[in-house]
Amino acid sequence: MAGHNKNNIYLKKSLFYPRAIRFLPIIITIVILIMLPLYASSYIVFVAAIALLYAMVAAGYDVLLGYTGQLSFCQGAFYGIGAYLSAILTVNYGWSFWQAMPISVLFVGLVSAIIGYPALRLRGAYFAVTTFFLAHFVYLIFLNEVSLTGGPLGFRGIRPPEPIGPLSFESMANGYLLILFSFIIIYALLRKFVNSNVGLILKSIEQDDILAESMGINTAAYKLLSFVISAIVAGYAGTMFAHFFRLLHPTTFSWFLSEMVVIITLVGGVGTLIGPVLGAGIVTFILEFLRFAPEIRYVGWAIALIAILMFEPKGLMGLIKRIGVR
Amino acid sequence: MIDTIVLTQLLNGFILGLIYGLMAIGLTMIWSVTDLPDFSQGGIYIISAYVAYWTITLLNVPYFLAIPIGALAGILLSVAFERIVYDRLRPSGVLSCLLAAIALFFLLENAANALWTPKAKIMSVPETEVSINLFGIVTSYHRIIIFIISVLLFIFVHLFIKYTKIGMAMRAVAEDREIAALMGIDTSKVYIATWALGGALTSVAAILISPLYAVWPGMGTLPLLKALVVVILGGFGSIIGALIGGLILGLIETFGAIYVSAAYQHGFAFILLLLTLSLRPKGLFGRR
Amino acid sequence: MLKVTGLTKSFGKLVAVNNLSFTVSEGERVAIIGPNGAGKTTTFNLITGHLKPDRGVVEFYGKNITGLKPYKICRAGIGRTFQIVRSFPNFTVFEHVLVGAISRYGPRAQMDLLKNQTENVIQKLGLNAKKNTIVRNLTIVDKKRVELATALALKPKLLLLDELMAGLNPAEIDEYIELLKRINEEDGITLIVVEHVMRAVMKLCNRIIVMHYGKKLAEGTPMEISTNRDVIEAYLGEGVAYA
Repeated sequence: MAGHNKNNIYLKKSLFYPRAIRFLPIIITIVILIMLPLYASSYIVFVAAIALLYAMVAAGYDVLLGYTGQLSFCQGAFYGIGAYLSAILTVNYGWSFWQAMPISVLFVGLVSAIIGYPALRLRGAYFAVTTFFLAHFVYLIFLNEVSLTGGPLGFRGIRPPEPIGPLSFESMANGYLLILFSFIIIYALLRKFVNSNVGLILKSIEQDDILAESMGINTAAYKLLSFVISAIVAGYAGTMFAHFFRLLHPTTFSWFLSEMVVIITLVGGVGTLIGPVLGAGIVTFILEFLRFAPEIRYVGWAIALIAILMFEPKGLMGLIKRIGVR
Repeated sequence: MIDTIVLTQLLNGFILGLIYGLMAIGLTMIWSVTDLPDFSQGGIYIISAYVAYWTITLLNVPYFLAIPIGALAGILLSVAFERIVYDRLRPSGVLSCLLAAIALFFLLENAANALWTPKAKIMSVPETEVSINLFGIVTSYHRIIIFIISVLLFIFVHLFIKYTKIGMAMRAVAEDREIAALMGIDTSKVYIATWALGGALTSVAAILISPLYAVWPGMGTLPLLKALVVVILGGFGSIIGALIGGLILGLIETFGAIYVSAAYQHGFAFILLLLTLSLRPKGLFGRR
Repeated sequence: MLKVTGLTKSFGKLVAVNNLSFTVSEGERVAIIGPNGAGKTTTFNLITGHLKPDRGVVEFYGKNITGLKPYKICRAGIGRTFQIVRSFPNFTVFEHVLVGAISRYGPRAQMDLLKNQTENVIQKLGLNAKKNTIVRNLTIVDKKRVELATALALKPKLLLLDELMAGLNPAEIDEYIELLKRINEEDGITLIVVEHVMRAVMKLCNRIIVMHYGKKLAEGTPMEISTNRDVIEAYLGEGVAYA
C-alpha cells in the first residue's frame, strides 16, 4: 500500500511519512535514555533504573492482563523469587551472576508453570484471590526462612554482575545501562510476541474464551503460556534488581508490589504494552519526587487511579489517543 | 492440665472464627447479589476500626456505643462507594469494578497511613478486659462479648434475609438479576441495602477484634483475604456456609499456629483455599 | 460419521436430554427440531464437549469423543455456531476469521496460506466489503456470518448450526439455504442444524430428527415428518415460525 503512491501529491498533504520516520520518536527516546548517565545525577539514573525494572514487569504483566484478560496479583512474588534465588546462588554458593540469572529465571518459569496449571482453571475473581494469597505466602517464606533469605534483617552483600570482558557493571551508570538494554530487548520480544499469530490467539481468548475454545484453541495452554511469560519477565527483572540494588528485604516483595504492578498497568493502559511502560515511568518518578510527602503520595496516587478508572478506563494510552497525539 | 489449654485455644479459635464468619457473610452477600468480590471491604475494615478507636479515645464514648458508630462509618463508606464508583463502572464489566474495589482498598489503607501514621494503636477497653473463669477456662469478658454480638448478628441477618421484603429481594437478585429486575425489583435499592449490610458486618467484625490485636493501617489485608477464603470455602452466596467456614478457618488457624507453625499461621488459609478449589470448588454449601 | 448413543443429561431434577440416540452419515443435511426446551441446544453442547453427559456415548468416525474438551472436539473436525451469537468484538472481520485459520493450521503456518484461507472464506460468505470493519460494529446478521465464517475457516467435516436463521427475513433465509447447500455439496461438510424456521428446514434438509422433552420423538424425511401425527400434535400444533 505504501510503495507505489510515494509520488502522489495527495498523500504528501495527508500525514503520510515514509515508514522510517515512524521510528524516530522511539530512537530519540532510546538515545536520550542511553545518554542519561552523562547529564543526569546518579540519583536520577537510579530512579530511572528502578522505573525500567517496573516497566519490564508491567509490560510482561500486560501480556497476562491486557492480552489474555487474567487479573493476577503475584508478579511481586515472581520478582522476589528471581531476586532472592539469584542473590542466594551468587552470595552463598559463589555462582557467577551469568550462571545464577538464567537458572533463577528458569526456576521462576517452572514455579509459575506448576502453580499456573491448576490455578488457571479458576475463573476471574477466584484466580485473582488465589494469586493474592500466593503472593502473600511467598512473602511469608521470604520473611520467615531467615537462614535462606536473611528475613527481616535483609540480604546484603550482593555483588553486581561479573564483568563481560572490559565492561564492568560496578558503577551505577553501567548497571543502569545493563538494565536499559535488557529492557529494550525484552520489550522488543514482547512486542513481537503480541503482534504475532499467537498474540492474536491470546487476544481472542481475552474477548471470548468459550468461543475461542470451541474454535479449537486450547485456551488452558495459552493462558498458561501467557502466565509463564509474565512470570519469567518478572523473575528476570527481579534478578536485575538484586544485583543492582544489592540489598534485599522481604517488605519490598509484599503484595504491595503486586498491587503497584497492577495499578501501573492499569494507569498506563491495559493491552497496549507501551502504556504500562509509560505508566511505570511516570509512577516511579512521581512517587520519587513526592518523597518529601511520603504519606500523601500514595493517597493522591490512589485517588488518581480511581479517577482514571472512572473517567478514562483505557488509562494513559486512552488519554493520548483522545488528545490525538500521533 | 493440658485439657484446659486445648479448651482455651478451642475457645479462641471459635471466637476468631466468628469474626471471620461475620466478615465473610458480608462479603458473600455482596458478591452473590452484586457480582463483585468487594476488596474495598478490607479498607472499610480499617477505617471503621479507626473511627471506633478515635470515638473511644477522643470522645470518651463507651465501647458498646463505639461499635454502632464505627459501623455507621462503614455503612456510609460502603454505600458511597457503590453509588459513586461501582454504579458507574458496572457497564464496563466486573473486572473494572474489581479493579476499582482494589483501588479503593489501596486508597483507604494509605489514607489511614497518612492520617494516623503506621504506628499501631491499642484500643483498650478496660470494661471487657476482665478475666472470667468459664468452666475452668480462663478467658476475658471480651471474648464473651464477641460471642454474644456475633450470634445476635447472625440471627438478625438470617431473619432479615428470610422475612423482610428487602431481604427477599436480595435473595431474588442473587438468584437471577435479570429476572428479578423484570419482576419489578428495584435493583439499585437492593444494592444499597446489600452494601449497607455488608459494610456494617465488616465494621463490627473489625471493631470487635480490635481490642484483641491492634489498630494499624495494614490491618485490613489479611482479614480480607481470609474472609474471601471463607466465602469460597463456605460456598458462594451461602450465609450458613460463611459462618461454618469461618469457624473452620478460625480453629485451624489457632491450632495450626500452636501445633504446626506460628510463623506460617496465615498460610493455613491458603492451604484451605487450595483444598477447597481442588476438591470441592462449590464450597460446603454452595449452589453455583 | 457421527453416532450418538443413549445420551442423557439432567440438571437437577430436569432431564434435559433423555436417552437420545441417532446417527448422521457423511454428506447429510440433518435438522433437529422440537419445541423450546426440547433439549436441542443441550444435545449440541453434549456433542461439542461444552457439557459432559451423565450417560451415553458420542462417536465420531468411530472414535469415542464423549466428554472431551471442546477444543479437542473442534480439532477432530466438528465445528459449531452458538444460539446467541458469539464473537470477538474488537477484531476486524479479517482478524476474526484469521483466528479460525490459525487454529486450523497452527500459529506457525505460512502467513500466505493463512491469509488465503481467510480471504477465501470471507469471499464465500460475502463479507469482502466488510473485511476491515470491527466486528462490534456489525449488525447481528453480519455477526452471525462472521461466526460462521470463522467456523468454516477451521475446515470442519461436520458443522453444527444452532438457530442460524433466527431473525432473518425470507430473502436472507433463502440466501443462507443456498450457501449451506453449497458448503455441503461443494466442500463436503456435513450439516446438523437446529432450527425453528420450518421453511428453511424443509428446503434445506434431507432428514429431520424431532425432539420432545429430551427424547427423540420421530425421525425421517421432511415429507414423513410433516405428516407424522405425533409430531404435529407435539410440535407443529403449538404454533411454529413459518417464514
